[in-house]
Amino acid sequence: MKELLGQVDKAGVVESSCILQGAEISVSTFASRNHETVAKKAFSYVFQNVSKLRTKHDEAHLEIGGKRLSGFMLNGERVLICMSDKNTNVSLVREHIYLLKPKFEA
Amino acid sequence: MADYKILFTGSVCSGKTTAIRSLSDIETIDTDASVSDSAIRRKQKTTIAMDYGVLEMSDSSRLHLYGTPGQERFRFMWQLMMSDLVHDAQALVLLVDNTRNDPFKDIRFYLDEFRDYLVQRQLIIAVTHSDQQAHPDHAYYMNELKGMGIFTTVLFIDARYPDSVLEVVKSVLAEREPDLNWDELGQRLMAHRPPVIEEEEESSEAPVAAETSEPPEVKLFSAVSLMDAAMNTRGITGAMHLGADRKVLETNIGSMQNQAMLKTMVNLVAALEKKVAFLGHIDNLVLCGPEHETLSVFVEERQALGLCSEKELSLAVVKQQGQDLLQWSGE
Repeated sequence: MKELLGQVDKAGVVESSCILQGAEISVSTFASRNHETVAKKAFSYVFQNVSKLRTKHDEAHLEIGGKRLSGFMLNGERVLICMSDKNTNVSLVREHIYLLKPKFEA
Repeated sequence: MADYKILFTGSVCSGKTTAIRSLSDIETIDTDASVSDSAIRRKQKTTIAMDYGVLEMSDSSRLHLYGTPGQERFRFMWQLMMSDLVHDAQALVLLVDNTRNDPFKDIRFYLDEFRDYLVQRQLIIAVTHSDQQAHPDHAYYMNELKGMGIFTTVLFIDARYPDSVLEVVKSVLAEREPDLNWDELGQRLMAHRPPVIEEEEESSEAPVAAETSEPPEVKLFSAVSLMDAAMNTRGITGAMHLGADRKVLETNIGSMQNQAMLKTMVNLVAALEKKVAFLGHIDNLVLCGPEHETLSVFVEERQALGLCSEKELSLAVVKQQGQDLLQWSGE
């Protein structure tokens, strides 16, 4: 899993990433614990409510300070979280994750 | 013949097209299309590619006037213009709409976008619409810009009046054209060209640079409300306006499911604002998926906006629409 996360981190697109399993981070490349904690709390809360309200949303983006935290739902109630610079085109981040998502879900 | 170039940029409705029309001796080339976003609050048409005009300053000097489209989604045109058509321009004129809730947010954004371009050329900040919103005034701008480390010329202009826009040109080219009779040129322009009447608003007042330096107040200038503007915006299907306390002021979102989810998102943002303020301001939270409308929350100190939009709309467009809607709204 750590190797897969290594593929998520890509210069100019994704700075760091982690996997949220339930309410805990199982594996991470985040250097900033503060951002990791915010992402964990935010996406746990958001996707719990998505499940409760049955809205079928599977992706969330939170812009805070100069960073963008993105959460992508994976199978097995896991969330792939990544952090990018706020000025990075969000489409680039999404395309990059969509390409890698099948590997995480295999 | 000396040929000069000036590039005008700035947010939607800041007066770029009007300024170029005011000065141009030729029928300006513009690429207007019907507005399909938050700019509906101010006008029916917007520039989608570029504006171009020419001012014959004298028998031996000519000025080419270029204007960028204001909307961020057309930023590819900015790059195209900077690297090609106006790579040799003498100055960048940043038009700042004084009626925006936070004009300095626009200044920071455009200076960041044009940072490399400005290395080799002059910057003029030209404040427009001060007849509708006098604050912030000139002193306030100078003070704020000084705080941002920006030392440049700030002029208050009325883009509809040729002699007013000519002051901007004079600031750029007076030293390069020492023999030019600027007063005569101004008189010629005013004599042969009536003030350009903008489609969105008409006002006969002259530009105002107010004397006090109080912080800006939030005011509504359009008959179109924030909710109406949101609903006139391409792809938006519902909106929720929230106050400083993050309580709902108004909503037209029909789906209870979407309403509940947006409130959840607002609650999350409100909680994060209190607990992790040290990480910086929360700009927005967006939730999307292939089978559901995109939900987004945009946050400012004095208000917040929740939007439901079609899932096909790109997130970049959703983001710009939310930010623009808040820039022209009051509580």
